[in-house]
This record gives sequence, C-alpha cells and structure tokens, in this order.
Amino acid sequence: MACMNEDGQWIVLMGLLTALALFFLALIINQSALVGQTTAEGVLEFPKNDIRDLRSEIFDYIDRFGTMNFDGDAIRKDIIEISLARKNAVVGFTVGDPQDISGRMLRPVTIHYYNGVTEYDETVYY
Amino acid sequence: MSLDFLAGFTIFMLALIMVVSMVPGLLAGLESSGIDYDAVAYRTGVILVEDPGWPVYPPWEMKTGAYKDEIERMGLAVSKETPNILLSTKVDAFFNDTFFTEEDYRGKAIFGDIPYSYNISLKSGSDLEQTGDPLPLGGYGYIRRVVKIKEPGIAVINDSFAPQYTAPSSDQEFIVRLNFSKLLDPTIGAAYRIDPRTEPVNVTITDFGAYLNRTDPLVDNATLRTVTFWKMDPTRPIPQFTKIPFSYGTVDSNLYTLHIDGTPTLHSLRPDEKVFNNISLVLKPAATSVFTLDQNSILDIRFNFGDTPSRTNITGIHHYDYNPANVTIPALSTGVLEVAIW
Amino acid sequence: MVNDGGQLYTMEGVAAGVIMLLTAYIVISTTSVYTPGDTHIPDMQLEQLGSDVLAMMDTPDREGTESDLERFISAGDSADFEGMFLDYCNMTASDTDDLHMSANVTYREASSNVIKEHLFVEPDNTWTGRESAVRVTRWVQLDYRINPGTYDGSRTQAVLVEVLLWRA
Repeated sequence: MACMNEDGQWIVLMGLLTALALFFLALIINQSALVGQTTAEGVLEFPKNDIRDLRSEIFDYIDRFGTMNFDGDAIRKDIIEISLARKNAVVGFTVGDPQDISGRMLRPVTIHYYNGVTEYDETVYY
Repeated sequence: MSLDFLAGFTIFMLALIMVVSMVPGLLAGLESSGIDYDAVAYRTGVILVEDPGWPVYPPWEMKTGAYKDEIERMGLAVSKETPNILLSTKVDAFFNDTFFTEEDYRGKAIFGDIPYSYNISLKSGSDLEQTGDPLPLGGYGYIRRVVKIKEPGIAVINDSFAPQYTAPSSDQEFIVRLNFSKLLDPTIGAAYRIDPRTEPVNVTITDFGAYLNRTDPLVDNATLRTVTFWKMDPTRPIPQFTKIPFSYGTVDSNLYTLHIDGTPTLHSLRPDEKVFNNISLVLKPAATSVFTLDQNSILDIRFNFGDTPSRTNITGIHHYDYNPANVTIPALSTGVLEVAIW
Repeated sequence: MVNDGGQLYTMEGVAAGVIMLLTAYIVISTTSVYTPGDTHIPDMQLEQLGSDVLAMMDTPDREGTESDLERFISAGDSADFEGMFLDYCNMTASDTDDLHMSANVTYREASSNVIKEHLFVEPDNTWTGRESAVRVTRWVQLDYRINPGTYDGSRTQAVLVEVLLWRA
C-alpha cells in the first residue's frame, strides 16, 4: 500500500452525503407520522365526550333529586361504581344547598374525574 | 479512466439507485390524506358543530356585507353549552355561498395556512345544503357529525282564538306581546329557548273571516292600516310603552316580511291593504337588534285595522311565550354534517 | 503487475454503498414503527360519530319530554334502539354507510353491590371478533318503573349504555 492515493475518497464523501440527506428526510417523516398519531390520539384519549356525558348526567340527576335523598344516594353510587368498573375512571361529585347567585338560586356542584391519564375538576353553579 | 475506477463507481451508483428507489416507498404511507387532512376536517367539524361562532352578540350571522370582516369564526351551535344542536338561522347564513366566498370559508371555518379544498354538507330529512367543490374520488380527510337542528317557533292565530280575541265595537287593535324576561328565562335550556334576538319571530293570523264584524253580512274583509312596534322597560321608574322609531314605510326583507292573503307581494308596515283571509309577519333578528332591547324588555307588535264603520272585531293581547297553544315550537330535527378536506 | 492504486476506487465504492444502504435500512426500520398512526384516524372518526349519535338520541326533541334513548332503555325496546342508532350512524349526504353495532347495558345491583351487564342488542352476523370496533358509552337515568324490567328492580337508577360500533 505504499503508493496509496486519495483520489477516490470523493466517492465515500458522496455516500456520506446521501446518508446524511436520508437521515434528515427520515427525521421529517418521523415528525409527520407523529402528527397524525398525536392528533388521533389527542382526540381518542382526551375523554371529552365522557366528561360531557358525566356533566349532563349529573345535571340531570340534580334536576330530578336536588340534594341527596335515599334514591339520589343510590344513583350517586351507581355512577361512581359503574364508572370505576366499566370505564376505569374515578368519579366523584357533590351537590350543595342552593345559594343566591346574582338573583338566582343555584346549587354549587363539584365534579371530579380521573381516568389515569386525564384529570378533570370543576366547580359549577347549577 | 481505469477499470478499477469504473468498478468502484458502478458499485456506488448501484447502491445509490437502490437507496433512491427505497425512498418513495418510505413516503407512500404518509403522503396520503391520512395525516393532515383528517385533522383539519375534524377541527372544522368541531368549530361548526360545537361552537356558536364569534362574535356572539350580535351574532355573526347577522353581519351584512359591509361588516363581513367582523366575523371571526363561523360556528353553527345554538350555544357553547349545547354541542351538536345547530341553529337554523346560522345554518342558513353559513350555506349562503353567494354571500361568503371561498376565502371566507377558509379563513373563518377551516383555518390553516394552506388553501385547502373543501366540501361541507348538511343533510336533514330530504333537505341538503352544500358548499365547496365536488368531492374527489378518494384521498380526502373526512369527518361526519350527527346533529339536531333547532327551528324557530311560530305563533298561528287561527279561528279557535276568535272568541278570545274579538269584542263588539272593539278598538280594532291586535297586540302580540313578547316578554323577554319570560322568553329568556335561564331555566329553559338553550336548545329550546325562544330568543327573538337570534331567531325570527313569526306571527300568522289565519281564518281572518272569524274576526270580522258580521253585523253587515256583506263585509268580507278589513283594512290593515299599520303594524307598529312598541317597547316597555319594566325596570324604569314609570314603565310605559313607547313606539319604537323604525322605517315602517320601507320594505326590507332583511328586517321583516309581511304577506297578506298568501300572495308573494312584500308589503311595508303601512300596507293599507284589504285582508280577506290571512296575515303573515316575520320579524327578523336583524330588526330586533336595532330595537335596543334587553333581557327585561317587553316588545309589542301592534296590528291596527281601520275602517269606518268598523269591519273587524279583533282586539286583545296574544302572548308569544312557551305556552304550546300560543306558539308552536317545532321539534328538533336530526341531521348529519359532513366535512371533507383535501 | 496489478497496482493497488486502483483497488482503492473499488473499496471506496463499496464503503459508500454500505454507508447508504445501512442508513436506508436504519431509517426504514425506525419509521415503520410510527406508521400505524393511520389506523388511529378511522377509530377516532368512528368514536366521534358514535358519541354524537348517543348524545343526540339522549336529547329530547321538545323541552321537558323524555329522550328517545331513555325511552328505549327504560322499555327494553332493543329493536327500535338499534334501528334509530343505525339510522343516525349510516346517514350521509349522498349514500348510506355500512356500520354495524351491538349494545349492552351495565347496571348495579344495589342489594349486593355487584355490577351486572345485560346484552341489549346482539351483534349481527358481520361480527367475527376481528373487526377494529370502537366502544362508545352514555349514561341514562331511569325513572321509577312500575314493571321491573331487566335492570335492578324498579328503583330509579343510573345505567351505562355501551355500544360497540364497527364497519363491516
């Protein structure tokens, strides 16, 4: 190898350049794939519909029972137990006595929802 | 040019060709609509179905040509608390594609920097409203939302009310009264509310023969002189009805329509027209908004007839309220909203 | 005599080729992990549609009346429930879609505090178990009923309607 010349090294350089370009391309592609996945997951995993449904159910419950009574207590337990068993969500809510909020008698309602990923807490006057 | 160089270069070129041929295969699964278009379609669906748009009051759908730029976002929902329940006046405004240009749809409903092509349609029963380009064969992002559509109420005053609203030698004045504090009662859900600020008020008097003065058997009509609007603010110290200044003499179908006896002629609010059978007045929200009413106001629509001798016995006050006998509120109708983006 | 100055060209060609092929291999093997993102989107669309349908069935058409969903569940009217659900689901502007469903109702037996399921709508023959089905749910409150149905007696109770939705 005494007379080794370096004339051919540009070929290696070209190969390296192509490899680099490919890496950058891959980086961009990876990002775009992630965009698609996160949008779908964002929608699938954020339990928007679940929380809305729970809220409307609690308001429906207040419409029927107001604060606790025997029937209401059983329903409350239905909601908590079934949520845990079927939807893996810890749910809790309390309903207070009506208060005068700018001329209307409204009940303070606290809602808690936690499914292991998303935690949601709300205090609302209904 | 030696043989060795040729061999080295050939190996390099072969490898390059292999790698280049792999790249499109790498992209094949990604260049399809799968990623961005579906996300944009979903977002547009959410904006249209779950949001009332912006500005809220006065609502965007009432903006006329000169104020179109004030519309920030076109949403069709009745309110933020009622997702998937659409207001028919918003729907009608949205699908008016002679008023909105493609740029408006892209800037106020679809958003995004890329000028997407779109096709938005709403089908309810056999009614189909559509805007945008025809759908391509495939490769578009898509979302479908099931919705309910809220239609405005209508007060039909037919002959069954005649005993209640007639009196011999009456003052020939018939009043339809809208008490906003009752109509906008917050205990009524937004999906079922009568809100004259966002929906048209429709008053239709039919079977007018029952309201005529039959002491003269030849009388078969009465003359409608004027229709006037009066308001009262009960929170004022001495509440009283005052006549609302309004261009009563000009016909403007954006503000109201007045039809007499079912003819297509649009009358002004000073018609001086003989009424044989029916009167139909539709008061558009654009008019109600210039009346400067608040949630306590009482609005009167007064129909004045005038003939000497009197030809009608009509009198009294009809309350435009939640009593199903007074105002018929149509049931919510089911529809499907589809958004396609490509 | 072969001089080894030329062999270098060949070696460098081989080296360049190996670098490029290796990169391509690494790139392909990493990106292919993420491409299943595609399957998430139809799921998302289906789930949104199903939730919408249940929410709209649970919206009374008039103020103060019972919603369709509540009426069907309360009366155990599975045929009408299925009919209306599929009707709402498969409605499109031009054509009809081909979605299928099964449903069950989860309730709590108050005396023993056990969660029980009642099969409300059986899956039809397009169900093989291999479909990528989505599950959507909705709470329903049942009023006191004189005729105790299939749920926990006649008491007022909250039950969870679960619908499995798939495209055949």
